[in-house]
Amino acid sequence: MMRLRPSLGLALLLGGCATSSLVLLPDDEGSQGSVAVLEAGGKPGQAVIDAGNSRTKLGTSSPVTRPLGENGLKKQEAALLTSLPPAARSFLLYFDQGTVTLTPESVLALNAIKAEIAVRSGPEVQVTGHTDTIGSEADNDRLSAQRAEEVLNWLASQGIDRSIMSAVGRGERELKEPTVDNFASAANRRVEIIVR
Amino acid sequence: MLRLPFGLGLIALLAASPVAAEIARIKQSSGIALVERGGQRLKSAPGLQLLAGDKLVTGKDGRMSLTFVDNTRFAVGPNSQVSLSEFQYDRTRQKGTFLTRVDRGSLAVVSGKIAKSNRDAMKVRTPNTLLGVRGTKFIVAVPE
Repeated sequence: MMRLRPSLGLALLLGGCATSSLVLLPDDEGSQGSVAVLEAGGKPGQAVIDAGNSRTKLGTSSPVTRPLGENGLKKQEAALLTSLPPAARSFLLYFDQGTVTLTPESVLALNAIKAEIAVRSGPEVQVTGHTDTIGSEADNDRLSAQRAEEVLNWLASQGIDRSIMSAVGRGERELKEPTVDNFASAANRRVEIIVR
Repeated sequence: MLRLPFGLGLIALLAASPVAAEIARIKQSSGIALVERGGQRLKSAPGLQLLAGDKLVTGKDGRMSLTFVDNTRFAVGPNSQVSLSEFQYDRTRQKGTFLTRVDRGSLAVVSGKIAKSNRDAMKVRTPNTLLGVRGTKFIVAVPE
């Protein structure tokens, strides 16, 4: 009798949690990731759930995973997925050697970036400037920051709120195309714009 | 003159630091949807910047969706309590750690760069389970 009580209490305590569940889905690109059960009910776990379109009742160290089957997602699960924000989008703009002047092709791409920001709710824009390896590291830090600022200023001139944007320069530290020092590379003279 | 460009570059690099405090931004919200921060309760609205430690709370018709600076995306369902307990992200190295607690309700997740950076760098805790996220899309539900 004495030993029954604590376990009964524990069962009641865990009762609400026992139905915690996991629905695992393929990602938007169609590949399948996995989720590991690292701990369950306070004990270390080792199970790895890797079946796509599956449902797992959590709470034990070796939980049972079942296919979603004919019934598929519950209504509230489908609604939850619908309310996920759109994926972040990345854009690249390129510059003439040693300048903050966009290449003609990149000038044409600007409007698409503006449009992408405009359709998003609560957007955030991260602008990162880069250079090739022509010139000193210090000069390239400055040039990369100026390139990023140039893009940010253009977006601001088009009515995009500055408070949602940030610009940084990474100089020649993150080359898109690996090169030796003092090498002109059109691919490396770029600004990346991430719109979230 | 030689030192000036360097100084400017440094300023540009440092300019990123205040932004680093922001870990995510609310994209949409509806119904009763609040962010608890310390003793404060902020009304959730598109554009609201979130910090590590924030707790997302929704009522019975409440929803909110958010995107993190590592591109992780969340959708929080009705009647939920979700804490952004730990979030560290190095934008340059694209590595970090991320712990979310789902105490109640439902959460849909599309993992981002942190989950890719190291095995189990992203974790989700429910009242009875600790999950390690290995790059994927999933829903965690914790009924009352």
